[in-house]
Amino acid sequence: MAQDPRQIIEEVQRRNRSQSQRYEGTLTVTSAKSRVAEKRWRFERIGSFGDSKSVLRFIDPPEVKGVALLIHNHKDRSSDQWMWTPELQRDRRIALQDRSTRFFGTDFSFEDLEERDVDQFDFKLLGEEKLEGEDCWKLESRPRQTKTSQYTHSYVWVRKDLFLFMMVEGYKGGELMRRIAYRDYQNVKGLWTAKTMEVFDNKRNSRTTMKLEKLDYNLPMKDGDFTLQALRRPL
Amino acid sequence: MRIAAWLIFVACAHAQATFTHRGFFETRTTLYPQTAVNDSGRAVSEGLLRWEPAWQPSSNWVFAASLDARTDTHRQVEREARFDWQDRRLQRPAFSLRRASVAYHRGGLHVEFGKQFIRWGKADILNPVDRFAPRDFLAVVDNDFLAVMGARVTYERGGNTVDFVATPRFTPSRVPLLNQRWAPLPEEAAQLRFVDMGSRLPGRAQFGLRFSRNAGPYEYSVVFFDGFHYLPLFEGKLSLPGFDVEFTRVYPGLRLYGGDAAVPLPWFTLKTEAAWFTSRTKTADEYVLYVIQLERTVGEWIFVGGYSGEAVTTRRNPVGFAPDRGLADAFLGRASYTLSPTRTIAFEAAVRQSGDGTWLKTEYTHTFGRNWRSVAGFTLIRGVPADFLGQYRRNSHALLAIRYSF
Repeated sequence: MAQDPRQIIEEVQRRNRSQSQRYEGTLTVTSAKSRVAEKRWRFERIGSFGDSKSVLRFIDPPEVKGVALLIHNHKDRSSDQWMWTPELQRDRRIALQDRSTRFFGTDFSFEDLEERDVDQFDFKLLGEEKLEGEDCWKLESRPRQTKTSQYTHSYVWVRKDLFLFMMVEGYKGGELMRRIAYRDYQNVKGLWTAKTMEVFDNKRNSRTTMKLEKLDYNLPMKDGDFTLQALRRPL
Repeated sequence: MRIAAWLIFVACAHAQATFTHRGFFETRTTLYPQTAVNDSGRAVSEGLLRWEPAWQPSSNWVFAASLDARTDTHRQVEREARFDWQDRRLQRPAFSLRRASVAYHRGGLHVEFGKQFIRWGKADILNPVDRFAPRDFLAVVDNDFLAVMGARVTYERGGNTVDFVATPRFTPSRVPLLNQRWAPLPEEAAQLRFVDMGSRLPGRAQFGLRFSRNAGPYEYSVVFFDGFHYLPLFEGKLSLPGFDVEFTRVYPGLRLYGGDAAVPLPWFTLKTEAAWFTSRTKTADEYVLYVIQLERTVGEWIFVGGYSGEAVTTRRNPVGFAPDRGLADAFLGRASYTLSPTRTIAFEAAVRQSGDGTWLKTEYTHTFGRNWRSVAGFTLIRGVPADFLGQYRRNSHALLAIRYSF
């Protein structure tokens, strides 16, 4: 079973399935010139792969507090995203062609914040590799036609024993655009979760490290808190 | 009172209350290289303390407020130590309630009462359909929104949203003060004495209805508004013996039909907004105001460029203050570049199609640590006196601002 690349990703998603998720992320952005900026956001998700909705709201520093991003993920196409800026009291839809830009000064692009559902990619198993001492499958994923992506293809390393993402590299042609490394896996309510994510932007030579705190799953959440109207709320 | 007591009871009855707040203290200095006919001042300094608390007593209720305390060197801010909750006076109040609203939501229903900000429309520089968003135009080109008092009921389902707004109490835009540079008087008028007879504020409520669709690759909305224009017309009469001109600000009735759309194209996002302004007021023009803009983000750049136009359907030649129409028949643009996670530079421009007026603005922003932000900018205004932008040709200025956010 595990030699089929699609089944590997399906198993990763099956093991990560939860009805909801909440965490607070502390992001440290280090630029190529070693300038450091720190931000903090609260993330909430309802639903699971294919039909989830999430809201990400900055809680620190005070300068950006309240800025929020609403993401509606879809099984068959790219997500819908809207950004709320409290200073302007306006929401703005993030167009598909703008998803490759970085999200609010971090090294995550808007696209990196959306879900990577198995149905939106074609997978190929490239082989097996050891990464940070762990046995991994190395897969290549290519977006299907219905999925708009800045990456022509990505390499994905999946840990064999626990079916966990260890690293994802996104390429445009032959050029590495971004590398996302997943570390400090911990079991929270039966779900193995990387509590540290490091995004490296190869073009800018900058990196963002996100540490997850107050992580929890399967909390009661309401669909009404993941709408454009909900985005306007200050809390 | 009973409603307030009931709301407080509901709020206190819930244990999982959350409280959050944000705010800032900002000092801002504007330097004008040139004096104006009616204003010899070259420097204006302002200080503003803003605090925005929000309280969520239960998952369905949110109380939000915003309080301002401010002062300045140019008497754009009142010197009276009173607390203002209406934002209807000519000067900015020293202490004011900028926002105070209570919101209830359940499922797709969202209801908000009180003093609140309501923004409609999609475009960036000019928003013809944004009818519940009066502004503080004391310094015309650097303006801020004012909240309106009323009720907003929104129902969102499956990407469709119906938005109904009723405001029983009218909030006008704050217009430039007569004795200051942003109310430019022609040199020929120097012998006249202008006597401000005050404002005639409408008594009736205003209503607005907006249907918008957000699902799918593009977005659009249609808007209906019945109420008053938040920008005034001037009614004046000349009293010959003393060459006094007595003028009154009046707010014309307005019925508006409009819409907006955002359509992603392969290379740009096309945003457009249009509205037909009709009026029963005999001195008010009727016209269509529209904006078409293209938007694109490339790497660290954000580009917005477009055109705003106007077509007058009934011309009555009113005398008024109309920055929205003043920006019509113009090419508009905005570009911003993120230099680093802490530094950005932005450019904005409006150039009248006739070439009679130009406004160019550049702003450099630098954040320090968690709390500090500094802004340095320069605004260049050029044109002929008869043009809306050109009349401010002596008001080019430099800006320095420092903000501490908490």
